[in-house]
Amino acid sequence: MTTYAERPVLTPAPGIAPATKGKNFVKWVTSTDHKTIGYLYLMTSFAWFLIGGILALILRFELTRPGMQFISTEQYNQVFTMHGTIMLLMFATPLFVGFANVIMPLQIGAADVAFPRLNMLSYWLYLFGSIMAFAGFIAPGGAASFGWTAYAPLANSTYSPGIGGDLWVVGLAIGGLGTILGGVNFITTIFTMRAPGMTMFRMSIFSWNVLLTSILVLLAFPPLAAALLALESDRIYGSHVFDPANGGAMLWQHLFWFFGHPEVYILALPFFGIATEILPVFSRKPIFGYKGLIAATIAISALSVAVWAHHMFASGQVLLPFFSFMTFLIGVPTGVKFFNWIGTMWRGHVTFETPMLWVMGFLVTFLFGGITGIILASPPLDFAVTASYFVVAHFHYVLFGTVVFAMFAGFYFWWPKMTGKMLNERLGKIHFWTLFFGFHITFLIQHWLGIKGFPRRYADYLATDGFTGMNMISTVGSFLLALSMIPFAINVWITRKSPKVEVDDPWGYGASLEWATSCPPPRHNFLSMPRIRSERPAFDLHHPHIKTEGH
Amino acid sequence: MKVNWQLFVGLSVFYVILTIIYWYVGGEPVGISAMLFSACLAGMVGFYLWFTQKRIGSVMPADNLTAEIADGAGELGFYSPHSWWPLPVAASATAMGFGLIIGWWLTVIALAALVISVIGWVTEYEKPLDDPSMTAPH
Repeated sequence: MTTYAERPVLTPAPGIAPATKGKNFVKWVTSTDHKTIGYLYLMTSFAWFLIGGILALILRFELTRPGMQFISTEQYNQVFTMHGTIMLLMFATPLFVGFANVIMPLQIGAADVAFPRLNMLSYWLYLFGSIMAFAGFIAPGGAASFGWTAYAPLANSTYSPGIGGDLWVVGLAIGGLGTILGGVNFITTIFTMRAPGMTMFRMSIFSWNVLLTSILVLLAFPPLAAALLALESDRIYGSHVFDPANGGAMLWQHLFWFFGHPEVYILALPFFGIATEILPVFSRKPIFGYKGLIAATIAISALSVAVWAHHMFASGQVLLPFFSFMTFLIGVPTGVKFFNWIGTMWRGHVTFETPMLWVMGFLVTFLFGGITGIILASPPLDFAVTASYFVVAHFHYVLFGTVVFAMFAGFYFWWPKMTGKMLNERLGKIHFWTLFFGFHITFLIQHWLGIKGFPRRYADYLATDGFTGMNMISTVGSFLLALSMIPFAINVWITRKSPKVEVDDPWGYGASLEWATSCPPPRHNFLSMPRIRSERPAFDLHHPHIKTEGH
Repeated sequence: MKVNWQLFVGLSVFYVILTIIYWYVGGEPVGISAMLFSACLAGMVGFYLWFTQKRIGSVMPADNLTAEIADGAGELGFYSPHSWWPLPVAASATAMGFGLIIGWWLTVIALAALVISVIGWVTEYEKPLDDPSMTAPH
């Protein structure tokens, strides 16, 4: 009847009800779209980043002056335990899953991930598991307080009674299951769903790093799950797996760090990948040493299972020469990556848009962390500063340097791809410089604090110790660091209604395939795909007159 | 694709070598077994990939250096447009874990809920093709 009637303009198509809040909610909750799930991951992990940051501020304010100002020592233990747990397992690890979900299928030219429903299951397990671990704060006796490393026998039911510790153990086991499923999903997607012509050695470095990170997830998280379940069995049913009487203390440390060290690379590799995506775009050059970078990443992944006991040098029960040598060895491919990054910029037309600025921040900060890492790889030097603020400064330089700097680099870089809006450059630069100085004021001084002998995880110190001045500087820095979130929030808010990005590649020199589809991409990612003949398919499409050498 | 099984088999061989070195220089049993298990895990994935590659026998468009986009045309597979099931599966799995802490009764209830929701998940699209609910809006 009305089949041939002209459809009035601005009326929704028949059968599609207008979007309401409830409908939108259902759409997000039941989504199987890798981009939507990725946004959920990114938003949730960023929320945990803010919560973990507030906990860090509580620690910093408590340490400003000698004496306990506003929390008890037990609360201090809970706060640093949850700060570490949140930042590593509820912020940084899922942040990798978020970026990988949003970007990796676009970069390999896939319509979705291999198992869309499993992808959503991973997200729910992560969300529920992390809420469970955090819920210890409202439990009687408070949250887990044995440190994020949960060393035996401190973590057993005698020394850490209360439901908070149990919630922590079970919550992490559930969240870890989600991470393992995510790893399986990414490996399958990369192996089976690449676009025609997208051979393994034409894949972007970020996708390569997602692949190798997922392999590390499969190697590292099962030992953690096993260790956590055995610990819970000790805590509830009174088994003696981690009883020091039969060597359980060392067993826990070995199992934990067999997870814990690959975990560091799980946190680092995807963010190296983000930096590697951004550098060539703002240097107007192809990546320098594409295959060398992949080889370096494979070397890091392979070696990362053989360095775990460098966290246990001071236990006096590990093979110092083996682990020291392996740790020095794993520094080599990491150094190779630095040469690749510098080589990419060398003689390029480098411009400093906000994403590039964040990558510069990453290079500088991570280099500091890498150098102190080489220092700590030497047992005699490690003995002198182990469990001091030197180590705290080291791992904050490594992890904050990679995860947070590269996260914001990725946000500013892919914001137009994810939302269709550009973020404001000026606010982005204010954000960067506040955060950069805030971070370095907070943590650079902690190297000297550690060398002077201030131990980590101590809630208090004496005025006569001579730590007060340095602690005050560190706290001022942390305040500045926290303030830097304000320009970012303003930026996101004021650009939410800015004009939509109409072009596929707003940066002009985008190389990988996500820049060959619209901003934001349609439901199954591509309406049309360019022919893939090099590792820079989008660049070949937009700049056909420049011949790139294929592999 | 040779790269994928070579990657996993290579990792497996490397872990075996590391295990031997670690054992030879006097490593402790936890590390030896953990690295050996890592070798087995990588070897298992590598074997599966090698075996599948042998079975398929042909070069996939994704591994063809001169493939056109049209070479991948055709049905990609079935993709769930949206699904409620991941939520109850994850919720009941979490409740099972919570039951370990607060009492067996919750674990038993949650296990039942988990079985039901896994069945729901698996059979979500196992319906007659003329069922109108199969043509859900995308």
